[in-house]
Formats: sequence, structure tokens, C-alpha cells
Amino acid sequence: MATKPKIRELLEESACSHNKTKKTSCNAPTPGATTGGCAFEGAQISLFPYADAAHLVHGPITCLAASWETRATKTSHTGRDFTQMGFTTDISNTDVVFGGEEKLLASIDYILKHYSPEAIFVYATCVTALIGDDIDAVCRQAAEKYGLPVVPVHAPGFVGSKNLGSRLGGEAALMHLIGTLEPETTTPFDINLIGEYNVTGDMWQYAHLLDELGIRILSTLSGDGRVRAIRSAHRARLNVIVCAKSLISLTRKMEEKYGIPHISLSFYGKRDTSAGLLAIAEALGDTDLIERTKRLIVREEAALEEKIAPYRALFRGKKAVLNTGGNKTWSIAAALQDLGIEVVATAVKKATEADREKAREVLGEKGVLMMNPGAEQARIIEERGAHLLLAGGRSLYTAIKKGIAFADVNQEKKKSYGGYNGLLNLAEDLKNALENPVFKNVAKRAPWEK
Amino acid sequence: MGEISHRNTKPLQVNPFKLSQPMGATLAFLGVDRCMPLMHGAMGCTSFTKVYTTRHFCEPIAIQTTAVTDITAILDGGDTSIVESVKNITAKVSPSLIGLHSTGLTETKGDDLRAVAAQVDFPLVYVNTPDYEGGLESGWALAARALIEQLVEATEAIDDDKVVLLPHVSLTPIEVEKIKDFIAAFGYDVLALPDLSTSLDGHLGEKQAALSSGGIEVEQIRTLGDAGLVVSVGDSMRACAEALQKKNPFMRHRHFSHLSGLEETDALAAWLLAETGRECPPEAIVRWRRRLQDAMLDGHFSLGQTRILAVGEPDQLAGLCHSLHEAGAKVTVAISTIDSPQLEKIPAGRVLVGDLEDAENLGDAYDLIIGNGHCEALAHRLHKALVLRGFPNWEEVGNPLKQDVLYEGGAFFLCECANAAEKMRRHG
Repeated sequence: MATKPKIRELLEESACSHNKTKKTSCNAPTPGATTGGCAFEGAQISLFPYADAAHLVHGPITCLAASWETRATKTSHTGRDFTQMGFTTDISNTDVVFGGEEKLLASIDYILKHYSPEAIFVYATCVTALIGDDIDAVCRQAAEKYGLPVVPVHAPGFVGSKNLGSRLGGEAALMHLIGTLEPETTTPFDINLIGEYNVTGDMWQYAHLLDELGIRILSTLSGDGRVRAIRSAHRARLNVIVCAKSLISLTRKMEEKYGIPHISLSFYGKRDTSAGLLAIAEALGDTDLIERTKRLIVREEAALEEKIAPYRALFRGKKAVLNTGGNKTWSIAAALQDLGIEVVATAVKKATEADREKAREVLGEKGVLMMNPGAEQARIIEERGAHLLLAGGRSLYTAIKKGIAFADVNQEKKKSYGGYNGLLNLAEDLKNALENPVFKNVAKRAPWEK
Repeated sequence: MGEISHRNTKPLQVNPFKLSQPMGATLAFLGVDRCMPLMHGAMGCTSFTKVYTTRHFCEPIAIQTTAVTDITAILDGGDTSIVESVKNITAKVSPSLIGLHSTGLTETKGDDLRAVAAQVDFPLVYVNTPDYEGGLESGWALAARALIEQLVEATEAIDDDKVVLLPHVSLTPIEVEKIKDFIAAFGYDVLALPDLSTSLDGHLGEKQAALSSGGIEVEQIRTLGDAGLVVSVGDSMRACAEALQKKNPFMRHRHFSHLSGLEETDALAAWLLAETGRECPPEAIVRWRRRLQDAMLDGHFSLGQTRILAVGEPDQLAGLCHSLHEAGAKVTVAISTIDSPQLEKIPAGRVLVGDLEDAENLGDAYDLIIGNGHCEALAHRLHKALVLRGFPNWEEVGNPLKQDVLYEGGAFFLCECANAAEKMRRHG
């Protein structure tokens, strides 16, 4: 049986609200006017954080050599951390002409012999999909030979966007891993975290709180993930989608197949973290758990407020412009508000309809939702007298030109901003940005310039 | 010279540090003023390249993709995606040139770049760079040759004061500038192709650049043909020099395998003295030679007992290894990304084409690692001293300003290596 998922079905995800208004949810890219990642990248993002699985990229050197070690998806796995390793068949001219299946099989053999992972994910890429290598057959053969999961991932770059690729990664996990192993024990409070990749350790900012409440994270897809855990994910009582919308197809299918309900939430900022914890407790439906959660929230918020107080004084009257994408358009905005910073504008260009509605709700009537942030942000900084710009590195020049502080919330983020403690990290970074004289100093004219 | 293996003997690469030809071509096009590199492939190739270059140079990077999809992968011969791309790019910005290069995907489906380029009514240079052949170094060299073949106008006139410098991909922006300055100090006008020394040198621009901000101008490339001399650095650039000489049979060529260390810098100086008929180079150069000699002596005790692993592109490896060898350091293992004639000339105990798994397996053979950012985890795991060199490196800032070439850079480089090794010996 071929295991290629039906792309059309994934593009027309019924659980996406905007699907009623548009023909397809994930538009085709425009040649010469696009900068996003590809489906392969998305599949990697959604599966790479499994630290006990080897990730073998079947393709030419670009796909893996230009992507390994780029994401700090932290793991508590005590063995060799495969998230920070790269495996690729690095196919050559000969493979393109004669096919790369033999090389793929030899590579799987090599990995099993030298690294003994819990599973191997095998990623098709543009070239190997185009030359027609049957990775399904090779994976099936290897799985039988070694008696462990060898999972084909059908997300070559050209099938679409990063978002679609994440869905395809989720499909691979659903088709080949979930439901293949029974958990040793179950509890009434078993949940799966879906779409949390534990970048910079985000998950660890709130995992201990769930633990304290007696809520067990049965499995994750895939932050700090384990192969054995995801194989038993079908016994969870609840699927919790963290931030990302990309894996909504997976949770819908798990609901249909295994009867697991799902909720979607964010752990950025004080209010969202509290609301998230409560939403999980409520979805699990236990009155005692709900009560305990409410008490924990009161305790955590009080402890946080005490630590935030000195920052709050510093941030009083400060205004920020936020230029980022996806759920961050509102979740970071809410976190900033929690710190007492007024968010005068947020970019919604790269956000879904639902995210835009949410952004409006968070910012209120006066807040600007920027559809073209590149062109708008400089003007808005001036008009509203903003003190701080939070954006990707490309916007640094706007901040320098306007002589205001800048914080990178995309590529360069090194610390976790998730959960209650993450908010303190954010506060500290923003304090450092606001106090840093560098933005004014580099904007200074030279003595020979007018 | 020790054992040399020209081929990777494993079925796969584990922890690769080899990079692709399209990435090398992108870098080359970024060394042309107001150029827009256009990668013909699926979005990811461009997106990955952009992330790597942005993080390494800490600069916004101009680059576009033809965004090939499953539909265009099958139905389009490249015509639609490329022509559409040019239309969309030029609707927003006005590049002086579009640098079109292919990827594994579009090479596999067999797009005819030359035929499509002929349909485009805009200054454009095209080059075939499949990523299942060669690597970063060869991609850069192929793009540089394409710039020469497709832009430089043929002539028989000669300007004796004009020198064309053809640097290999691993020379940093400041190194290109230093070599230009060295030659210029003998009274020449020097143009580098490609020239990252004015585009990705880490200067603060006026605004976020939508195109490369600096580099050799397209008009300067067109008129390179009348240069009296062409100087190629790195064996990957030999073919570029030959291409340039085809534009003008009277142009003379001098090749250097690298420009690191005392011997090769002496060779450059001696040749420039002979060409100009001067007795002595400018005073600054003379003083830097003495400083390098002093650095060699100051560092010899430490370097003499240090065993080194060097990993990198072939031309870069050749330079680093010769420079270290002269100062008495033992390069026990040199691992190259791809095969090259350079491998035969590298003074190392063992030279192989490989990956960082090979480096890990040979961990008993060295004390100090010299290589790109991926080597940091390796050095940490094996408790080795580390000097970060090569592309990419996002563990450190200031990559465009690192210089290891000529007398001056050689002095700094040897001191840095000796210090790193000593620190390791003192503190483990």
C-alpha cells in the first residue's frame, strides 16, 4: 500500500475556519515574490524534535546540510541527541540517473549499525521524489528487517509550504507510529501536546506545572519527544494543540479514529498561560482538578507579579510595535500587555483569519493591524510615539532610523518566552533593549556627514 | 604528505559540513552590486540559503526563488516560473542584474536555463548548479565563470595598470579587501570578481537592502576585458581566469593556490616586484612580513606540539594547512568537502573527502579543530581546542572581518591558533 497522504485533503482541512471562504487554505507560492520555507522544511520541523529517532534525508546535499543544527529544539533525552545530528544520502549524479534506493537502504543499514535509534524517519525530497525512488518499499523492507519503525515522510519541497509540510509530518506520525504500541499505564489525565516543538525549551516553562497538577503528558508531537511515547498517543484523553494551527488535521483525525477531543491554546504571557492551564483542566472535566488548577494559577500569578513589579515600573507608559507572524501576532502582544506595555500595532500579514480576529480582540479598537508591516511600521512608530519595535532582524534598520529600541522575536531568539517564567525572560530582554544605548549610538552621524 | 582519499567511502553523510553549489552561486552573485540572486527551484532551497547567509553574515540577504511547485515541476520547462519571477522582482526593485541559477530539482527535470534566459528582456546571467554535484566552492566558481562568459566584452586593448582578482569562495570579505589593497600598494587598480569586500563586509547600510549593497558593478564587469593582468586565488578559480583570457588574448595570468603564510605571500610580493620593476614593497608590507616572522617564532613552541584537524573547502584547507605547516604545527587530519587538485598538495598526515562523523571517529589524532560552526559541538564533545573558520558560523559574530591571508592575516591567525591550543592545555 502506498502511504502517500492526499495533499488535496490536507489543503482543504475542514477544521480550518477560513476554508469556507477560500478555495484552498494554503495558496500556491508566487515565483520571484516569496520567502517562505518548503514542505520538506515543515516536515522536519514537526518531526525533528524526536531526539531518539534518526532523521535521514534522502536527497542532494542542500536539503540537510543547510538545515541541521539550525533549530534549538531542546531535549531531555539522555542518549545521543539526534536532533542535533544530520544524516543524508547526499545523492550524486549517478543516483539521479540510476536511482537512489540502493544507497538509501545501505544508509539505513549504516545508521542502525552505528547509532541504534528507536526509529528512523526517511524524508523524500524534490529530487528523489522526481526520480521516483520508492521510499515506501525501502522503509517497509528495512522495518521488517530490523523490527522497528522506519517511517517514510512524503513531503518533498515542491508540494507546498512549510505549513503543509508540518501537516505531512503529522500524517506520517499518524499513519506509521500512533497506535502501534500500548502504554504501560494510563491515567485519567493523560494528554498529548501537539505542535509544541520545545524551541529554546518553551515546553519546560509549563510542563512542571502540568506535572504538579497530576496531568500526565503521555506524548508530544514532537518537542522533547520520544518514539515510544508517540506510538501510544492514541490512549490520551485530550489533545492539546499548542500555538500552531498546522497540526489541526492530525488532531481531527485522532478525534475521529480514537475519540480524543482537542483544544487549542497558547502559553505565551501570564493571561494565556493561566487560561491554557484552566482550559486543559476543564477539558479533562474533573472538578477537583479544576479547583486545584485555579489555586495553582493564583499562586503562580502572585509569584510572577512580585517578580514583574520592578519591570512594570520601568515599562510604564512604554509603547511597542510588533511585527511577526502566525499566532505570535497576538500571543506576544498579550504577553507585552501583561508586562504593562501598550501594543499600538501588530502585523497580521502572515496570520490566519482566526489569528487576525484574535489580534483585534487583544489589541482593542485603537490598535493597528498591519497588513503591510514593511511599509507601515515606520510611520506608525512615529505617529504613536512607540519606544520599542519587536520584529525579525530585517526590521532592525527601521528601529535604528527611528532611534528606538529593537528586540528580535524571530530567528535570533535564544531564550524561551513561554509560560510564567518565560515572561520574565521577555521582560529582561526588553529592559536590556530599552536601556541599551547602541540603537542611538549607531544612528549617530559621522563628523564628516551632515 | 600522508594518505589521500579522494572519495567519501560511506553510503551517506553524517553531520555534513559540505554545502551546495546553489548556495555558492548565491554568494557569488551577492558580490555583484545591486544584484538579485534568483534560485530556480522549490522555495526551501532559497529559504535555507537565506537563513544560513543571514546568520553567518548578520546581515539582511537579498535572494529570490522561482518557487517551483508540484505542478510546475511537471508541466513547466522553467519558462513560466523564471519569466514570472523576473516580472515580479522587477515590479518591486530595480536590480542591475539577475543572477539565475538552478538547483537539483530543476536540473533533474532538465530545464534549459540558456533557452529561458534568452526569453528574458532584462540583464541576467544564468548558471547550471545542480546540488548533486560539487559543493559551495564549485558553485561560486561556476557563477563567477558565468559572469565572465556572459557579461565581459571581448577586446584586444590592454590597460597595464588594471588587475582583475578572482578570489575563491572561502576568502572572507576583509581578506578580499586586504589582497586588493596589497596589489594596489604596487600601483595597480584592482577589481575583484566576485567582490564581497564591499557588499558583505558587515558595514552598516542606510536601510535594509532589498538588493546586494556593494560589490563589483555590472558595468565594471563588462569592461574587465582590458585588464593587463588576472590573478586567480584558489584552484577552483583557474577556469575563471581561462574564461577571462578568452575575452582578450593579450591578458596575462598569474595563479596562486592560496595566499596564506610566508611562502605564498612572498611569491605574490616577488611577482609584483618583478612586474613593476620595483626594488622593495611599500614599508607597511615590509613591516607586516617581520611581524609574521615574529608571530611564527612566538607561536612555534605551542604550535610545534599541537596536532590539528582542519575541515573546510579545498582551497581554504590548502591555505590554512600551509600556513600552519610553516610554523611547525602538525595538521594530522584534513577533511575536505569535495575532491579537488588541492588535495594532493595539502601538507597533512591524512587528507580525505568526508564529513564530521569522520572527524569524530579520528578524534584521537588531534588536539585543535579548525572548521565551521558545526565543529563547535564536536569540539565540546571531544574536549578539543577550537578555532572557528569557514562558512557557516553562527556561533560567533564578526565573520566577515576574520583575516588569515597575507603577512598580516597570517600573523593574527597563528597567534589565535597558538592561544587556543595553550588555553586548552592549561584548562583542559
